[in-house]
Amino acid sequence: MKQTKRKLTALDMTYAAMFAALMAVGANIAQFIPPIGGVPITLQTFVALLAGTLLGSRLGAISMTVYMLVGLAGIPVFANFTGGLSTLVSTSFGFVLTFILLAYVEGKIIEKSKTRGFMIFLVASVVGLMLNYFLGTTYMYYAYKLWAHSPEGVSIVTYKMAWGWMLVPLPKDVILTIVAAVVSPRIYKVINKVQAGKSKRIA
Amino acid sequence: MMNIIIGQYVPGKSILHHMDPRSKLLAVFALIFIVFLANNWVTYGVIVILTLVAIVLSRVRLRFIYKGLKPILLVIIITFVLNAFFTKSGEAIFDYGWFHLTTGGLQQAAFISVRLLVIVIMTTLLTLTTTPIDITDGLENLLRPFKKLRFPVHEFALMMSIALRFIPTLMEETEKIMKAQTARGVEFSSGPLTQRIKAILPLLVPLFISAFKRAEDLAMAMEARGYRGDIGRTKLRLLKWGLKDSLLLLVVIVLIPVLVLLRG
Repeated sequence: MKQTKRKLTALDMTYAAMFAALMAVGANIAQFIPPIGGVPITLQTFVALLAGTLLGSRLGAISMTVYMLVGLAGIPVFANFTGGLSTLVSTSFGFVLTFILLAYVEGKIIEKSKTRGFMIFLVASVVGLMLNYFLGTTYMYYAYKLWAHSPEGVSIVTYKMAWGWMLVPLPKDVILTIVAAVVSPRIYKVINKVQAGKSKRIA
Repeated sequence: MMNIIIGQYVPGKSILHHMDPRSKLLAVFALIFIVFLANNWVTYGVIVILTLVAIVLSRVRLRFIYKGLKPILLVIIITFVLNAFFTKSGEAIFDYGWFHLTTGGLQQAAFISVRLLVIVIMTTLLTLTTTPIDITDGLENLLRPFKKLRFPVHEFALMMSIALRFIPTLMEETEKIMKAQTARGVEFSSGPLTQRIKAILPLLVPLFISAFKRAEDLAMAMEARGYRGDIGRTKLRLLKWGLKDSLLLLVVIVLIPVLVLLRG
């Protein structure tokens, strides 16, 4: 969607809020769907990717910020129904932060490109996933270092280990990323069609 | 479903429950930094006593506080073990190969884990005694000065409230769509990996489209009722700053020189 005006319209706000709510559902979809191969499903990355592609860079980032704030205000919207201000000191908070950047970068990629084909959505989604994993895991490593305050010369949690933990959900997220790339042009078209129809009716 | 709307909030009638969300927010944010001033037994003692007083005042059952602690418990345990066994200072209590348990190590481990515990308990208490809507209102009010910098404070608060309102709705919707698609033969709970992931598609596409539709309807309704930002907008819930709020802030402010004087 085109976002050139500075002021947020009512529609901008409801879109962003709805995506924040979708993030909450996506984070806890495991409640509805049993784990795949022992790994509980979360669709956070998936929804964040779609926020970037469907809402655009600015609104996408705003909606992910709203999601983060809602979680910090105490609503259990993060994975495993966690939430509250204490999440600030959890080691996985970096992932929540990267969702904002991820949606922004992805929106930018889509906005800069002239085509709206599958390839561009795929490129944007893969870049987004890489950002998410790279920054999130790095944050996790440093959070462990900082909170656990390991004495000098000792690193129980090595950078490699942090990555080791993250390899478990990786295959699932890669597949979901590709799915996101397949789905987003479809939803994109449907929504744009709906909007085009609406403006025609009004005119 | 109810616990999603109210979040971690535990209804109650304690002093902490009745305080203004603004004073609680300010106090907790200040305390997160103040805790780092403590560096010996006396100063940590002061902070632990304050935390215990806050827990007693909140009259929240310990079970709820434990629930807030659970996600961070592993980090605290790792912290304790790391510092206990790898800090070499003070007298040795136990020495075996890699592991050295020293008095200095134990002290350091205790201090750092207590610091983490206090931060987590304080932040948990805030969300246990304040409803998310109150926190949103308090934040909006506290961040008002940022409006001058053209940061859309009011808009963010409104988006948070809308998201709060629609999380349970979308959860229900997810369930409904799943049932509808199961009736049409989609298997959500069995089958090989690729098929399972493919099964998510007929769930998500309708969910997203209906969310977009809801957003459009809501925006239309807002505009029809004359929504035009926060200009001249009145509020249903008004924040009230009382004596106890000033007292709480006073305690926090007094705590800073006390800790600075007592720290080693």
